[in-house]
Amino acid sequence: MNKIEIRKLRFHYSAGEEILSDISLDFDARSTAIIGQNGAGKTTFVKLLKGLLQPVSGDVLIDGINTRDMTVAGLARHVGLVFQNPNDQIFKNKVLDEVMFGPSNIGQSPDEARASALAALQMVGLADKQAENPYDLSLSERKLISIASIVAMHTDIIIFDEPTIAQDHAGKERIKAIIRELAKQGKLVLTIIHDMDFVAETFERTLVFAEGKVLLDGPTREVYGLPGILKQSHLEPPHITQLYNRIGCQGAVLTVEEFIAARRAGTGRPPVSA
Amino acid sequence: MKALSLYQDRGTVVHRVDSRSKLLYILSAILIPAVLPGFMPGLAMLALSILILATGKVFGKVLPLVGFSLLILASIVLIQGLFYSGNKQLLFSLWRFGFYREGLLFSGGICLRVMNILCAVSILVLTTRPSDLIESLVRLGLSPHLGYVLSSVLQIIPQMTATMETITDAQRSRGMETEGTLLVRMKAFLPLIGPVVMNSLVSTRERSLALEVRAFSARSKKTFLNPPQGGTANTVIPLVLLLAMAAAIVWRVMQ
Ligand SMILES: Nc1ncnc2c1ncn2[C@@H]1O[C@H](COP(=O)(O)OP(=O)(O)OP(=O)(O)O)[C@@H](O)[C@H]1O
Ligand SMILES: [Mg+2]
Repeated sequence: MNKIEIRKLRFHYSAGEEILSDISLDFDARSTAIIGQNGAGKTTFVKLLKGLLQPVSGDVLIDGINTRDMTVAGLARHVGLVFQNPNDQIFKNKVLDEVMFGPSNIGQSPDEARASALAALQMVGLADKQAENPYDLSLSERKLISIASIVAMHTDIIIFDEPTIAQDHAGKERIKAIIRELAKQGKLVLTIIHDMDFVAETFERTLVFAEGKVLLDGPTREVYGLPGILKQSHLEPPHITQLYNRIGCQGAVLTVEEFIAARRAGTGRPPVSA
Repeated sequence: MKALSLYQDRGTVVHRVDSRSKLLYILSAILIPAVLPGFMPGLAMLALSILILATGKVFGKVLPLVGFSLLILASIVLIQGLFYSGNKQLLFSLWRFGFYREGLLFSGGICLRVMNILCAVSILVLTTRPSDLIESLVRLGLSPHLGYVLSSVLQIIPQMTATMETITDAQRSRGMETEGTLLVRMKAFLPLIGPVVMNSLVSTRERSLALEVRAFSARSKKTFLNPPQGGTANTVIPLVLLLAMAAAIVWRVMQ
């Protein structure tokens, strides 16, 4: 069964300024990236999946439940959303309390919640900060805490809104590992992100949002194989793909390893110029 | 950033008149009918205000305000019509209550004055951006610090509501019921107070740092962000208003 089904979804904040127009798609368990220009409607889209906003018309079904038929709090057992801005999410004075808040609310016992929270903090590498006040931590650490507090809820669907904000290389690698781990556990991981290299290395499927529509939808490799359409939505393929194409090779390699392998195998040799 | 204001961005001529003229207009709308006798000056002023509001395309926005104050004014008319101390001449009776001419005239005067003030103030409030108003007050000699406090007050309430909404979203996103019975709402509301106050303290500190970094309290002479609104209209209007007020006072004194 599809974890999320979206039928003819339309949304606007104020009448006449359509933000999302007529979107229909399904999400299975493949990890999926959502890319698109600033203001393309990505955050709005995931808020609709989370029930924080209601469709103007059309339906969103989460594990078969229409978001219109359930409160946001009720949906919280099914979908976790890590907010774009960690300051919009964090409100407790102690890191551990913050991370335990979600799990306790959805029915984990205090002991379970504590265990989940500690495991999640371990996962993001902040286990040693559990007694601190989140307001004293840096933006990158607060972002990791906001991730941990959703991971600790063990929801079947997890949505990240720009998880790599303010992260250095080590932080990005850590987040990449978290996403892969969650995907391996069979969860649906949806991620809004502007870092094309990160997308290429991490996600199986990619959606391109532009002007309230899904312009492209497919396996990441196919999407990045269509530079023309990407350009139309003001996006570029990952650097390694661009390099590969610029030296004259056809197709999309997604990682440095693939690039090297292709060159070694000779399949990616540039056509001999006349 | 959204601010707590009734400003309507309609871009008409009325919007282009500077706030100094509008402040003077309020003064005239209060002073002239008060100085001159009879109902006519007040009615004329009211008609003028309504004309200006209509030109500014904000007349519709005044109606709810008028409607609200009518409720209160109606009670004044009722009470004064019945019990005004100077009541002599019975005008009509409803059931067992007699309404008197003097009381009705007196309360009519009050209503007219209130409507006048309401409409004149509405012209200022509905067609002037609060920041422009504060800037012109500072230009007229108000301390910039006080000006800043005023504009902060206009912003802080919408800002707190916004923070409240985001935190509520964060809580219900993580399984806390915030919709439903009053008890559920109360339970959800109480834990909000801490973080909302915390957040606004933090942002106040950040903002004052940001202001200092940009030399807010420097002692040297400052340039205003916007050039003073010049133009003939902005010299003629205050002049006409001042002359009208002076004329009214002189006429009164001569009587
Ligand atoms: N609460 C709101 N009220 C009115 N308009 C809004 C609101 N939130 C967002 N918008 C508008 O909706 C459009 C889509 O915004 P959204 O935040 O979904 O974009 P996004 O794709 O997430 O952008 P970014 O990459 O910058 O995060 C924008 O034009 C934005 O100005
Ligand atoms: Mg966004």
